[in-house]
Amino acid sequence: MWGGLVWLVLGIFVAFQGYELGLGQTREPGSGFAIFWLGLLTAAFAASIVFSAIKNGSEDIASLWRETRWGKVMLIIALLLVFGYLFDTIGFVICSLALLLVLMRFVDPVAWPTALLVSFGATFGIWYVMNKLLLIQLPNGWLSPWLG
Amino acid sequence: MEILSALGHGFAVALQPVNLMACFFGVFIGTLVGVLPGIGPVSAMALLLPVTLSGSPEAGIIMMAGIYYGSMYGGSTTSILVNIPGEAASVVTCLDGHQMAKNGRAGPALGIAAIGSFAAGTFAIIALMLVAPMLARFAIAFGPPEYFSLMVLGLTVLAFLTHGSMAKALLMACVGVTLGLVGIDQITAAPRLTFDRLELLDGVGLIPVVMGLFGVAEILANIERSIRREVVSSRIGSLWPTAQDWAYSKWAILRGTVLGFFLGVLPGGGAVISSFASYALERKLSKRPEMFGKGAIEGVAGPEAANNSAAGGAFIPLLTLGIPPNVVMALLLGAFIIHGIQPGPLLITQNPGIFWGIVASMYIGNIMLLILNFPLIGMWVQVLKVPYKLLFPLILMFCVVGVFSSGSAVFDVFVMTVFGLLGYLMRKFGYEPAPLVLAFVLGPMVENNLRKSLILSQGDFSIFIERPISLACLLMAAAMLIVPLLPALRAKREAVALDQE
Repeated sequence: MWGGLVWLVLGIFVAFQGYELGLGQTREPGSGFAIFWLGLLTAAFAASIVFSAIKNGSEDIASLWRETRWGKVMLIIALLLVFGYLFDTIGFVICSLALLLVLMRFVDPVAWPTALLVSFGATFGIWYVMNKLLLIQLPNGWLSPWLG
Repeated sequence: MEILSALGHGFAVALQPVNLMACFFGVFIGTLVGVLPGIGPVSAMALLLPVTLSGSPEAGIIMMAGIYYGSMYGGSTTSILVNIPGEAASVVTCLDGHQMAKNGRAGPALGIAAIGSFAAGTFAIIALMLVAPMLARFAIAFGPPEYFSLMVLGLTVLAFLTHGSMAKALLMACVGVTLGLVGIDQITAAPRLTFDRLELLDGVGLIPVVMGLFGVAEILANIERSIRREVVSSRIGSLWPTAQDWAYSKWAILRGTVLGFFLGVLPGGGAVISSFASYALERKLSKRPEMFGKGAIEGVAGPEAANNSAAGGAFIPLLTLGIPPNVVMALLLGAFIIHGIQPGPLLITQNPGIFWGIVASMYIGNIMLLILNFPLIGMWVQVLKVPYKLLFPLILMFCVVGVFSSGSAVFDVFVMTVFGLLGYLMRKFGYEPAPLVLAFVLGPMVENNLRKSLILSQGDFSIFIERPISLACLLMAAAMLIVPLLPALRAKREAVALDQE
């Protein structure tokens, strides 16, 4: 039911945005024409999901996460956000090494030697293939003086 | 004769060293992602899409196509040996394939999967070669109303065939189309749903969305629960099936091939649906249905043939109409567009080298796959032994690098993360990502054709029902929307969905 409610609000919001953009006329539909109707359709389907959940009963939200390692899921999301935030400034090599090491030591732990070997091998391997072979530039950040 | 000469031209393209290398790389990566649980052809293709920029269009598209049909081969290995499907189309192979492996018959299971895949793949290429030029000539007559209605039908079929709630699938399709409309309006140049973010003026990127919903979300779902994998590798033995196995399998392969091809061509259909349909058909026709689920070889042969045949058939709507029938083909459409080529009715006449080059490369790729999956099966078994705790950080890293390199923008990494979380939550609440992604790709085309149709007809909606092809598509779509409302048919649809789960 909660998922349906979120989509219901989103559908109404999209319909409103479409209306603001301008519906135009059917002989010359405006920029918001399709968006408005899509928003209404989204809201209608969401309403039917909410109605069905109320009528038939829905699963307790907490039960979806019972006996799961949801903390690790949140950790990965947080790591990706931090990675994106620091990527341009610090550079690919340092960010990737840190990300891989944290994933391999704290999310699903492997032994230190394996973690170090895989992290360094993968980071420098990817950097070499992208920068030197495929000529796709990854930011060098703090290591620019050494990596060129 | 004309076809043979065109095919000859195709082989001249496909046999160029760079294209041959692209084909090998594609089928190798395809088999690898098929074998590895947790990364499928969609993620792999999205990841390698930027790589295709550095080569010719032929090489890039041959490689991407190779990943797709290669993954169909590889997926069966994991299903049979580990009882975890390497990719979605091999889910059903677990049922009897793994039972055969547990009974000490892993070799014949792997063998029949490879042979069935090869036979079906070859059939699909021949059918593609014969059907596509005819359909392309027919499709030249299509106008905006026909395209609009065909795409609506495609999205409805996908929503109908998606397991679980149809309302949720249709809701996902609406959200997907809306996301596809973010950015500058192609007709009025007005920014839409960009919220003053410059990064959104060109729209939301396909690669971050796909990598988030399929790559990152899959990792999050796997991490949530610790997975234990036990590889059956000590008793693989001879790969060649016995005479009795052949007797059980030959008709299953033939039926799976034909069924898979037609379901692959269908907009919204594809390899996953066809493998389930083939399994259900074989169980129904079998003289020993009680053996299904206990190691019936025809339960491996039929679905494996069907998913490979469907993979070939899925190229037809894309190459002749320019409409991707599933998410993988949507990515291939992205590869075409990146290279400035518009697939559709004119592709065969305007870019014969690309069309026939792809067809010829599929013949070559199928032979490569047979070699990769028959004598080299031991290598893939070793790959399967790599623990997931080592694999997932690398897959995540590849996702980040792939997304960043597709647009050289950190913003895309954030988009991927948001869609990763969204994809994870969608799985939790029973929403399927496939209708969203297909609708996301089709969204701008749907809107464009809708607006063009209305401008053509001076705002008269009857244009969609006055044209026979458009009317037929809309009637079929309407029928699929009505079916779940009828109690008897709803029960049938839910039974199929339950089977899939």
